[in-house]
Amino acid sequence: MIQIDSTDIKKQKKLALTWAITFLILFPVLITLGLLMRLRQGEVTEAAPSEFFSYMTLHGLGMAGVLFSFAFAALWYLNSTRYVKLNVKFGWFLYIIIAIGVVGLLIGTLIGKFGPGWYMLYPLPFKGTFWPLWATKLSVISLIILGVGWLVGILHILYALAKEYGGITNLLGWQYLKKDNSNIREIPSMVLITTISLIPGVFALIIGAAMLIMYLLQSFEPSLAFDPLMMKNMVMFFGHTLVNITMYCAVGWVYALLPEFTHREWKVNKAVVYSWNATFFFILFAYLHHLYMDFVQPTSLQYLGQIISYSSAIPATGITMFGVIAQVYHAKMKWSIIPLMFLFGMAGWAIGGFAAVVDSTIALNSSLHNTLWVPAHFHTYMLMGVVLFILGFLYYLFSGNNKEEKDSFGNAGFWIFVLGSYGFLLMFYLGGLNSVPRRYSNYSGIEIDHVRETGVHLAQCAALFVGVLLIGLILMYLSLICRLVQQKATNKKND
Amino acid sequence: MFYLLSFFWNDWLSITMPRHQLIQLPAMLLLGILLAYCFSTLAIQDMYWGIAILIFIMASFIFWMLPHSIDVAVINKHFNRVMHINMLLSGFLLILVFRKIFFEVKILFLGMITAMLLASGITLSVFNMLLCSSFSIEQQKQTGLYLIFIAIALFIFTAITFFSYLRNRSK
Repeated sequence: MIQIDSTDIKKQKKLALTWAITFLILFPVLITLGLLMRLRQGEVTEAAPSEFFSYMTLHGLGMAGVLFSFAFAALWYLNSTRYVKLNVKFGWFLYIIIAIGVVGLLIGTLIGKFGPGWYMLYPLPFKGTFWPLWATKLSVISLIILGVGWLVGILHILYALAKEYGGITNLLGWQYLKKDNSNIREIPSMVLITTISLIPGVFALIIGAAMLIMYLLQSFEPSLAFDPLMMKNMVMFFGHTLVNITMYCAVGWVYALLPEFTHREWKVNKAVVYSWNATFFFILFAYLHHLYMDFVQPTSLQYLGQIISYSSAIPATGITMFGVIAQVYHAKMKWSIIPLMFLFGMAGWAIGGFAAVVDSTIALNSSLHNTLWVPAHFHTYMLMGVVLFILGFLYYLFSGNNKEEKDSFGNAGFWIFVLGSYGFLLMFYLGGLNSVPRRYSNYSGIEIDHVRETGVHLAQCAALFVGVLLIGLILMYLSLICRLVQQKATNKKND
Repeated sequence: MFYLLSFFWNDWLSITMPRHQLIQLPAMLLLGILLAYCFSTLAIQDMYWGIAILIFIMASFIFWMLPHSIDVAVINKHFNRVMHINMLLSGFLLILVFRKIFFEVKILFLGMITAMLLASGITLSVFNMLLCSSFSIEQQKQTGLYLIFIAIALFIFTAITFFSYLRNRSK
């Protein structure tokens, strides 16, 4: 096992803290954009549609980017302080590259009003737009920069892990599948999940780069006409895979950190290897469920989309849920805020995942497609899954040695946050069930009175719940800051 | 080989766009790569120089894909030779850099070239306007189609390289 010296750990921690603070600044800003959108839909404010759509674009791209970047940064930190040596200078370089991409995106959307949504569905960013061409170019270039940063970072982690654990087959856990596995190189479960999550990311980012180059070419030559179906396949392969692996990266650190609280090992075994390897394959093709409404897509791919969406949900989720239950069942553990967040994060993943499977069923998708059910499911596993995992990790990072201490302030914030979030999500689900469409800046154009009125009322309620959620978040922020200050004081004393 | 490709067969290779872009240009690159294998001890040790050279190589690829550059290269033989030398040098330097550069940079470079070729191929195959006045629109579309095939092949090559580097990397 590798020995990592304390100086390296300190350096990596500084990097992780910088990532954490960046996340803590950007996250509420992006939530506020969501709040402004719901207020507009609830007819509380009268923002112009152009503002609504630029907010929607930044909210979508920003959240996906920030959550993935932070999930990646957390994996970087945990891997580099436990299992493998990662170059900290390289880590800072990636931070700067990603920051440049984020700044470009902020300028493109907030100043340039770039507003085709995160998916930038072709040819939407080029036909009858309300934003200038430079905003499209800048946003696309910023996304390319972000992609390059992520790709290089992923490659660095994978290569370092492969060197440490004797190659890709070991990283994928295939040594556990041998008949005689008495003398095998054991791998930590987080390393297995890091590998399984990040390799599909490499392919998604290359295809994403090709797609973005085509967008860039289109922005220089308006007479170009690409096949919209091909572009949609590319954008969904890129976007869906990236969002999917964000969740798996976060699940990876739960495998590593939860055992510290339950005091039980969470080892890799055959079942874990089989299920995560299956997920590795399914991640790449699950995106096909985004194209059900595209009648020109070959029918076989539509069926494949449903089958793979079902298959991708079962192995990793099943084995992880079973693992979590085995970890916490009758465990002599203190239910401090960190394991609580991990447990609720798992619940959010399961609930959001179930809603996603419902939507990926072709028969149901014909009713739920493009309704608020869609943001309902992905907000569930992002807000109540990934975000809770991230907050749990932040508590872990900010806590120093006493990670199980009682924190009534933080706990209050957590419960308020969960209450606000599920209230906010419920409004999305109810909207979906009432056929309220998504991506509408306001509902005044809907001719069916019931749908219009329901949409407006639900948006108002959702805005209220976002307020509650933000109160919870502020309390948790205060508790986090206290922990960080406490940790710094302890470190100073020890030095 | 350089003489044959650049002088003897030049007129034949410059007649159609697929020949010019898909045979002559990659052949020069390949010659450069083969040339580098004759000097097995030569390598660019410094990472910063390595990255700078890879940027130069990528810029060269982009430059020789620009319609105006292609047109001038077909019309002007001297300019065409500059292309040949540039591609030969690019292939040669590519191997020298690849001998010592980090795995991350290698895969990033190959991945980005794949993405660029795929995007260019699709663009050429769908564009209904003549980009290079020296060639026809059918040739342009044909070039695009073959570029897509090359990009797919390079994608597979990148994947193989990626997995082979991750295989048995024990310290």
